Amino acid sequence: MTRYIVHRAIQNFFLLWLGTLIAFTIYQMAPGGPIQFLDDDPTATAADINRLTRSYGLDRSISVQYFTWLTGEDWTPNNPTWRSGRCISNPNKCGRGIIRLDFGRSFFFKGESVIDVIVERMPATFTLAFASLIISVLGGVPLGIYAALNRGRLPDHIVRVSTVLVNTVPHWWLGLLLLIVLGGFLGLVPLSGMQTIGDGSLLDRLHHLILPATVGAIGGWIGFSRILRFEMLEVLNQDYVRTARAKGLAERTVVWRHVLRNAIMPFVTGLSGIFLLALSGSVLFETVFSWPGMGRLFITSVNARDFPVMMALFVIGGFLGILGLLMVDILYGFIDPRVKYDTAK
Amino acid sequence: MTERTLALPQQLSQDPGKEIKELTYWGAVRAKLLRDKITMAALALGLFMVAITLAAPWIADNVLGFDPTDTNLRMRNDPPTWAEESWPKFENFTRTCQGDSGCAWSLWPEIFADSAAGLRACWGGGPGNCHWLGTDNAGRDVLTRGIYGGRISLRIGAFVAAIAMSLGVVMGLLSGYYAATMIDHVINAVIMLLGSIPLLFFLIILAAVFPFFRTPFGLSFMLGIFGWTGISRLLRGQLFSIREREYILASRAVGASIWRIMFRHMLPNVSSIIIVIAIFDIAGAIIAEAGLSYLGVGIGPPNASWGNMMQGSLGSFTSAPWLVLTPGIFIFLTTLSIYLVGDGLRDALDPWLKNE
Repeated sequence: MTRYIVHRAIQNFFLLWLGTLIAFTIYQMAPGGPIQFLDDDPTATAADINRLTRSYGLDRSISVQYFTWLTGEDWTPNNPTWRSGRCISNPNKCGRGIIRLDFGRSFFFKGESVIDVIVERMPATFTLAFASLIISVLGGVPLGIYAALNRGRLPDHIVRVSTVLVNTVPHWWLGLLLLIVLGGFLGLVPLSGMQTIGDGSLLDRLHHLILPATVGAIGGWIGFSRILRFEMLEVLNQDYVRTARAKGLAERTVVWRHVLRNAIMPFVTGLSGIFLLALSGSVLFETVFSWPGMGRLFITSVNARDFPVMMALFVIGGFLGILGLLMVDILYGFIDPRVKYDTAK
Repeated sequence: MTERTLALPQQLSQDPGKEIKELTYWGAVRAKLLRDKITMAALALGLFMVAITLAAPWIADNVLGFDPTDTNLRMRNDPPTWAEESWPKFENFTRTCQGDSGCAWSLWPEIFADSAAGLRACWGGGPGNCHWLGTDNAGRDVLTRGIYGGRISLRIGAFVAAIAMSLGVVMGLLSGYYAATMIDHVINAVIMLLGSIPLLFFLIILAAVFPFFRTPFGLSFMLGIFGWTGISRLLRGQLFSIREREYILASRAVGASIWRIMFRHMLPNVSSIIIVIAIFDIAGAIIAEAGLSYLGVGIGPPNASWGNMMQGSLGSFTSAPWLVLTPGIFIFLTTLSIYLVGDGLRDALDPWLKNE
């Protein structure tokens, strides 16, 4: 199993590296290049642009830029072909490469270190994602079980119809709608942000969290309940369930001990995409709810052509996605002792 | 899999003199579809949406009397004309709800009466005098932009489904036919690559960098290029069992070309899945476009799409909820009809399947 996971990890990181290569290439193909954000600034002179280009090392060849962005420039030959102007003038300011968690400096945030900018916004995104996950599991799992046990009856139909209805609109639009009604009209929830300025109490934070987390959970909620309903129905038809019932076990024991344990596996698979989904979702939900997290930072950086932040978020997002996939692989081995990755070819 | 037999209609066996009309597969599908009232209603709704978007220029000229790009800066974020009197009262009502004294329900009769009077005036006012669903942040008529936006959103839906399907079918057939060979591995690697990068981030970078991807065709191209993996994986799984069947072996034995085997012998076996997924893909693409345009990296102004109509609402969505509601309801009606038609088709394409 260890071998399988190491194999998967290597495979995935190779793919992630390929992804960075593609994204980097695409950005270099951009009309205007990374310094394009200065086009909007009427006070920027040609000399300024030249100075910045040299300072950020954008005058080097693209392959060198990519290489130093990936591995750092502090160990490369000390000449303008390899090092950026900033690094040559002050060796302390050399880039250390993304493999050492140095994503360079932001254009938009006035030269602040990119990793600082991102780390500052990470807790917001993780709080929202984690709260959404909890709500979607707490909501989706009982719903799926309930629908499966009442298959073909009214509760099942209600669950099915409502999931179809919810899926026919963008979930972030539902968020906007709820924000208008609950926040704007009734004043029950705050309209934006993560906390009232100057008030960082737990209650205030929860008050700000409740609506974004609930809306963010809709997708997972529906997904989980659907998977679980389907799997429960599969398992309920198995012979061992009939045996369990025939030997007089209480229905509760049958459902919890025999059915649910076997129906839970695909549900765990459904969890694997959760990080990528949470991150992708964060872009829209954080925009809707003005949530100060990584998703909104991404949109800000894209609109400001802040290339280092954009690339860093892309790489970190991919890394988290892979982490999620791997975690589920490991979880699988724990939940189901029958899973042996080495023998299963 | 259990053996499927097509039950002959009852009357045939009772009346041997009558000519037996054989029920073809597509005949059975059509018969089942026509009997399905929900699907037919959904189809009518979908066709209605297509019709009003196709007729958008005519409707805008002759019924509404507004141009989708005509700005009027004196009328920014104005409420619907018929609600000019009642909207402030409704806002008053919501304000009382936020206060301590509780909602002032007594305002409602007035709100209803004013709205009704406004609606009557609007109805009699003729084209160009009534903004049925208010105006946006540049004073443009929201309803006009809504039906014009459908032209772009629906087109994107259809384009994306077409591109993703063609790619997905070819890739799925290839990896199903050449399972466990180099071609299959390469296709799987590409699918894995797309699965391990944060795709939405990637799409946003692409759209922000290349203006081409913000045109309707470019955006569909981008969504289609990255949207084929699901269908390809599904087909590959389905084809796994089909490629082992005798008739595939037989056609290979008589020297049929690979393409003939793939498209004449394997594809028809999975055509029903492809049709259903293509239909669901249209809905998915409409929703994806709305998301990208809402973020400001999709269809750019002055064109209207259901997504970018909401982008202008960012600062004013509570004071002008019609900016959010209108495109959302357009999306809702369209995707609802698509989902229901897709659902009905899924049942109908399996005519031998009894309703569960």
